[in-house]
Amino acid sequence: MNSGIAISMRNLCKEYTREEFKVVALDDITLDIAEGEFFCLMGPSGSGKSTLLHLVAGIDRPTSGSLGVLGADIADMTDRELARWRSENIGYVFQTFNLIPVLTAWENVELPLQLTHLKRPDRLERARTALEIVGLGDRLDHLPKQLSGGQEQRVAIARALVTDPAIILADEPTGELDAASANEVLSILTTLNRDHGKTIIMVTHDPRAARFARTSRYLDKGRMMEMQTPSVMD
Amino acid sequence: MGKHLFLIWKNLRRNARRSILTVISTSISVFLIGSLLSVYGMLYGSEVREESALRLVTRHKVSLTQALPYHYRSKIAAIDGVENLLPMNWFGGVYIDQKPEHMFPRFAVDQEELFDIYREYEVPAEQLEAFQRDRQGMAIGKSIADRLGLRLGQRITIKGDIYPFDPEFTIRAIFEGPDDFNSFFHFKYLEEGLGPEAGSHVGVFTIRLRSVEDASSVARAVDEMFRNAPEPTKTETEAAFALAFVSQIGNVKLFLLSIGTAIVFTMLMVSANTMAMSVRERTREIGVLKTLGFPSGSVLGLVLGEAAVISLLGGVLGVVLTLGVTTAMAGVMVQFFTGFTLPSWGVVACFAVALGVGLGSSAVPAAVAARTRIVDALRHTG
Ligand SMILES: Nc1ncnc2c1ncn2[C@@H]1O[C@H](COP(=O)(O)OP(=O)(O)OP(=O)(O)O)[C@@H](O)[C@H]1O
Ligand SMILES: [Mg+2]
Repeated sequence: MNSGIAISMRNLCKEYTREEFKVVALDDITLDIAEGEFFCLMGPSGSGKSTLLHLVAGIDRPTSGSLGVLGADIADMTDRELARWRSENIGYVFQTFNLIPVLTAWENVELPLQLTHLKRPDRLERARTALEIVGLGDRLDHLPKQLSGGQEQRVAIARALVTDPAIILADEPTGELDAASANEVLSILTTLNRDHGKTIIMVTHDPRAARFARTSRYLDKGRMMEMQTPSVMD
Repeated sequence: MGKHLFLIWKNLRRNARRSILTVISTSISVFLIGSLLSVYGMLYGSEVREESALRLVTRHKVSLTQALPYHYRSKIAAIDGVENLLPMNWFGGVYIDQKPEHMFPRFAVDQEELFDIYREYEVPAEQLEAFQRDRQGMAIGKSIADRLGLRLGQRITIKGDIYPFDPEFTIRAIFEGPDDFNSFFHFKYLEEGLGPEAGSHVGVFTIRLRSVEDASSVARAVDEMFRNAPEPTKTETEAAFALAFVSQIGNVKLFLLSIGTAIVFTMLMVSANTMAMSVRERTREIGVLKTLGFPSGSVLGLVLGEAAVISLLGGVLGVVLTLGVTTAMAGVMVQFFTGFTLPSWGVVACFAVALGVGLGSSAVPAAVAARTRIVDALRHTG
């Protein structure tokens, strides 16, 4: 393992080509994120924040540059290796929750564990524990549509943490939530970072959300801006 | 696959109405194919029984409607390998009315030889004697007797249609055996009713061979014998003869085949459309599954698995439907044929078609789902 560095980006670039147009989504990013960090990424729409998370999660590949995550050079892995690696090391939280609508909260959280060797009773027990951590131990059998937005997002966080990954990536996790629900979600993330040692990278537009993080950086048109903290912002 | 079964099941229940409709349309298609296969099996698939294999049928070379001279009987009997032969005349006529349930075939035969040629028919000795003694006696198969509620000693009248003669019969014997859906009466009674001219001609001769190996040599010898006669013959196995009888309707095989192909093709289109739709509207979810670490193979398995479950359910339903309907219809069909049911190879074929169509139609959507890049899938809206 690496000496305290969870994620290391060197001259990372990502370009998308749509028809004739070339979009530079990430432009020469060099950045280290320490283990146990709560890292907040801000920036205007289209600045490449989601793209950066995608690369770190290994659900998209950089155009150039190198990217080490937890000591692994994920650019070199095959899709299959990457899928397995991701299921073990990354928890992903989406802005729009993305729970499977036909599965209950419990089943949604149990889903990633189907990729492990755990037996069903163990999987269910773990899923229950994860839901208890996010304060939804009493909503096991609710379908997503029977939950509030805040509750849905907490289920999604439970799903992201159930495999006990070292890194949790959250893409605007409070974007769809009211202030109270947002606070709940953010304090859960804080707990995960502080008490469970998870490295967290969170993308947000909301300066108040950014205050929960230990470090904040700005992206603009694919470039990482010099140090700026949210406290300077508001 | 095992762990995914749960997810497959949940997905099928997500759009329960569509799943049910797909299962129903699959089952109807399977039912249609099953029915075709039942007809096919009845016509072509019934295995030749030992007894039947021992019989040849000699008819007029030109057509079934032309008769052969009665005096051929002794000439054919002299051919090496022929054990015995039975002159038979198809007597049409109407029993009660034209309704299908009242129809059954009637043949004028030599009552002395009948049960020696058709040895698979079992008839009690005293009934056989009574039938042979009574000029107006009739021997009927048990399946007809049961269907029409006919009893020994009962008198029935048949209204002639081919022949201007309304014979009256007394049921003297009820025989049992495979294909016991025929009835027989004395050739002499027909001759009496129609005059000596009728007695000099015969519709077909049914030959019983000494051994199955003689079949082709005897058939050739018979046809060779009358090749230059005014009434040349065509001799073939009983099974082939039954088929020739049906083929008067047209090219049955091609007909069945083309309908079957059309059904399979339609099924494929409908099913492909449904699968494509159900995969497309879940693109985003597939992106989520992949983000969680589900490999492409699992996604492929999920989509194919769904199609397989639907197909198998449709297949089971369709096969059950086919067996139910053919069993119910067998009673009506029995006037001409037995074995109108889905043969076991037909059951296998039905499932193969259902599964093949299901997997075939979902192969493309499944491959697309498996290949879609995660970022594109996650951006998918709708
Ligand atoms: N899959 C893709 N194909 C083509 N272009 C893409 C793709 N994903 C992102 N882009 C482009 O890359 C740029 C960065 O997009 P990205 O989604 O990373 O921005 P973002 O900072 O997350 O914006 P937002 O705050 O609106 O979510 C945008 O110009 C976008 O149009
Ligand atoms: Mg984004």
